Amino acid sequence: MGEVILTMKDIDKSFPGVHALDHVNFEVKRGEVHALMGENGAGKSTLMKVLTGIYQKDSGTITYKGKETEFHNTREAQDAGVVIVHQELNMIGDLTVAQNIFIGREPKKGIRVDDKKMIEDSKKLFQDLNIEIDPREKMSNLTVGKQQMCEIAKAISHKAEVIIFDEPSAALTEKEIADLFEIIKDLRKKGLGIVYISHRMDEIKVITDRVTVMRDGGYVGTLITAESSKEDIINMMVGRVIYEDPKEHSMVAPDAPVVLKVEHLNAGKMVQDVSFELHKGEILGFSGLMGAGRTETARALFGADPKQSGTISIMDKSGQLREVTINSPQDAVKYGIGYLSEDRRRYGVVVQKSVTENTTLATMEEFCNGLFINKSKEKKVTEKYVKELATKTPTTDQLVVNLSGGNQQKVVIAKWLTRDSEILIFDEPTRGIDVGAKNEIYKLMSKLAAEGKSIIMISSEMTEILRMSDRIIIMCEGKVTGNIDISEATQERIMDKATRNIE
Amino acid sequence: MEKLKQNPIVKKLGLNRILLVCILVLMFVVFKAVLGSKFPVGDSIKSTLNYVYFLGFLSLGVTFVIATGGIDFSIGPVMFCCALVSGYCMTSYGVPCAAAMVLCILIGLAFGTFNGWLVSYMSVPPFIVSMASMNIAKGIASVFTKTQSVSWPQSSDPVNGWFRNITSYNGFPVGLVIFLAMAVICGLVLYNTKPGRYILCLGSNSEAVRLSGVNTRKWRMLAYMICGFLVGIGALFFVATYTTVQPGYGDQYNNEAIAGCVMGGTSMVGGLASIGGTVIGVFIISLLQQGIMAFGLGKGQQMIITGIIVIVAVYADVSARRRKN
Amino acid sequence: MTKKKKSILSDQRFVVLLVIIALSAVFSFMSKEFRQYTTILSMLDFSYYDLLMAIGVTFPLITGGVDLSIGTGMVCYALIGGTLIRNNNVPVLAAMLICIVLGILIGTLNGVLIGIMNLPPFLATLCTCMITRGAGSLCSATPWPTLNQPGGWFHSIFKLTIGQGRSASRYPIGFLWMILLVILMEFVLNHTKFGRYTIAIGSNKEAAALSGINVKFYHVMVYVVCGLFTGLAAIAYAAVTPTVQPGTGAGLEMDAIGGVFVGGVAASGGYGSVVGTLVGIFVIMLLKTGLPYVGLQANWQQIITGLVLIVAVLIDILKEKKSAK
Repeated sequence: MGEVILTMKDIDKSFPGVHALDHVNFEVKRGEVHALMGENGAGKSTLMKVLTGIYQKDSGTITYKGKETEFHNTREAQDAGVVIVHQELNMIGDLTVAQNIFIGREPKKGIRVDDKKMIEDSKKLFQDLNIEIDPREKMSNLTVGKQQMCEIAKAISHKAEVIIFDEPSAALTEKEIADLFEIIKDLRKKGLGIVYISHRMDEIKVITDRVTVMRDGGYVGTLITAESSKEDIINMMVGRVIYEDPKEHSMVAPDAPVVLKVEHLNAGKMVQDVSFELHKGEILGFSGLMGAGRTETARALFGADPKQSGTISIMDKSGQLREVTINSPQDAVKYGIGYLSEDRRRYGVVVQKSVTENTTLATMEEFCNGLFINKSKEKKVTEKYVKELATKTPTTDQLVVNLSGGNQQKVVIAKWLTRDSEILIFDEPTRGIDVGAKNEIYKLMSKLAAEGKSIIMISSEMTEILRMSDRIIIMCEGKVTGNIDISEATQERIMDKATRNIE
Repeated sequence: MEKLKQNPIVKKLGLNRILLVCILVLMFVVFKAVLGSKFPVGDSIKSTLNYVYFLGFLSLGVTFVIATGGIDFSIGPVMFCCALVSGYCMTSYGVPCAAAMVLCILIGLAFGTFNGWLVSYMSVPPFIVSMASMNIAKGIASVFTKTQSVSWPQSSDPVNGWFRNITSYNGFPVGLVIFLAMAVICGLVLYNTKPGRYILCLGSNSEAVRLSGVNTRKWRMLAYMICGFLVGIGALFFVATYTTVQPGYGDQYNNEAIAGCVMGGTSMVGGLASIGGTVIGVFIISLLQQGIMAFGLGKGQQMIITGIIVIVAVYADVSARRRKN
Repeated sequence: MTKKKKSILSDQRFVVLLVIIALSAVFSFMSKEFRQYTTILSMLDFSYYDLLMAIGVTFPLITGGVDLSIGTGMVCYALIGGTLIRNNNVPVLAAMLICIVLGILIGTLNGVLIGIMNLPPFLATLCTCMITRGAGSLCSATPWPTLNQPGGWFHSIFKLTIGQGRSASRYPIGFLWMILLVILMEFVLNHTKFGRYTIAIGSNKEAAALSGINVKFYHVMVYVVCGLFTGLAAIAYAAVTPTVQPGTGAGLEMDAIGGVFVGGVAASGGYGSVVGTLVGIFVIMLLKTGLPYVGLQANWQQIITGLVLIVAVLIDILKEKKSAK
């Protein structure tokens, strides 16, 4: 590690009603990978946005290369060599790779843009990074991982001295993460300062030198990674010790009937010959890497995306397994399936509508007296679920947009409970939800399962999978590669199957 | 201001709507004060009402479409197409007046269905559908009538004159009663029925509604169909007031109808609609047209002023939304 | 890397070219008159203003927006120019410049409303459509100078006439200018910053802004360029229209926008080509010119343009669906 290249001292920033950053300190040295950690809403992204000029700080100082600096927009920060690789990719799909890398600062030849030079320069960049990408390829034709590499190449081409990675691994496969780490190590060797934002504890241990933890907009402390344990970091993040005991054995009765049977499901490239069974009262964990095809399987099963082939059988009222046709979410809902998407704001709730309107959305028929909606019945049912699920909302008329992630999730759960859905698909049930609310969601899921609901839980968090599931299906590249009981499951076994492809 | 907002009566009625009514009254007072005898109270109210009748139905209709987050600016030409084709059937083929009236509404419904089908089942962007069906409506009207104007019966007509009673009967404003009744029905449909709930929700987040097991395509299409149906009724009120329709026109009423709707607080982004606001908005637009004419200004100025009003109203909506986020 | 070899048949522009040839063949086969040089000459004459509007509106369409004010705008500028020549003895050259300046001004207004004030493009330009139409109808019907009058030289920009009277031979040199403009704008689209950022805005505006592009400026510029071409179109329109009529022009934008979609612009923005626009416009022009020769009255053309627009957009949507699979 070299000398300090960037220091942020006493940074304070308020938005109307929120004290987003409360005198935060942060520094990066040359040749170091510095992790920035904290729960969602801890202020990591805000801090980085202040650094790169997207937000302006209220007070505090930023010292960059020995001089006090303030960037007024991303452009200024880029020009000075402070570049951010965003979590959501900033790619223009209709332009080529080279055009994307040099967008906003195209080399010119007279009036025209010098595409030849751009292609040459891009090739050189990729060579330095040891990546094989054709700069003439249209961006939208690349995989997410490759797009991320382009984003990194773009950052480096700015002659960056400080690069901020904002949850870069979220969409990458194992192999791509390995490649990414090679690149980061290489950049570290060259003396760049690197900020690495991630939730994944194991990654932090592997790649970073120091960890700075934030909580509720405040600075908690900085640790040297090699000298601290996972628990130390977690304790700093949550301010209290949490215990995440894995489940020892399945809670499902051995003779529990099968409520859902999926056979040879095929849907696009991401779902190939997927078969599994779900028992009554079971929490079936779906594990695997990002892009393993778990969400796609769920969406195809739910009828949200078209499928090519496969049969689905569901237990009917009389307890018989019967083959059903599911071509749309309508069909799936009719057969008692409910889907809780990982992206609640887009696919789960109608944010500009009230808690009541969201709760009854899937069950409108039951609240209609002939032509009109029975609003008092609606309210009564909603209030019942607000109480039962302990949803924190002032009234049932509150717009969902004003609720926190955990409470939004509860509204979606209430929607399916109102519908009396027997099979619930939770896709990343706790993504974007803070630790306290997470535990509540876990308790709720266990309670639902104990009451006889059957749950499919897709999760990328190993602890979540090990803590919640009764049985675990593991997917890799669109295929099922494992099906193990919780009593036999270990982190290593799951990882092994998640990265191995069957012939 | 904050205090006023918290007042229960204000809360119930909505501050915006109260303000809009104030604007309406103020406009009337100003016109009267400035124009004096050129703006006779009785006649002005009457001509304003006549304008409200047909424009109101257009505005109510397009409120449903805008609530889904879509747009329909074919409504003006479609209204003319309804009036022309059904009127031509009556005058040239001897179709009875009552049947022609039904036909008029059916043509509107057919256009609404066509637009809705393209937007929701074929995923064609609404503005493209609007452009295309505007042209198609004009074309059909021109081809069908051989580019001749069509006159509906006068009130003196012994056989068919009765149809004029839909606007007024012995000086009693029947049209106003029908329009307000229709507005109440629209309000009930939008806020108190399942289809209305779905239309508002899918305007706000279509994908979340679909994943709740709702057939969003069907309900989106229904919004366009309701719009078409109301446009058909609007066409009847147009001919009941102005008798004669000419093929190839009707564009300007698109803007006026959308203006009334957006002024009333219906958001262009979808999901938020106010039928009460639309009603008041329509009155303001209609009064404005009378005012402009009383000032001795023509169609040209009318169009310019309406254009500017829509821009201001939409900008107010856009910037209010941005402040919220 | 996988560099897919595209077959020439997958290029929409080539397919459209085949359609043009087929259409010409059918019309020529069915009607003797259609085959004559004068028919082709008049088709070319009337294609210039459509094509100029279409080249302009290609850019907003690539950004995923639209400009509905081009038709009424063009007529409005031509009217103002003509009025100035008649009533104020303004030289024709100056009037032409005024047309262009007016186009740029309205284009800037559109750009500011859409790019900076964030109004939905179809709504903002629907308003300017009304405003320009209103402004145009404040003028009276004005003929620009004919070929033999003083100032009539400007006709020669589009159609060079050598000799006099019946023996005069006419050359459609306007077509040459059009080809040059198409090549120029295709270059601008593919090889300059402006063109690249136009595509970027249409493809992913947020990303473009985060890449440090002054998105607002370029978004405004897109509409300015469209306005500029509308101004040019006004001159071409004045050259072929004996008397420009106030209150007309609504619907002319349809031909232009329809042509661009036939030429293969993506309905959601992000892709388009000026060469495509050129071939697309000729499909529209062929239909417009050819249909009367095969016995369909002129108003059918409106209906058919509407249908062609929908079909062109549907093809694009279906193609996108297919490639998404």
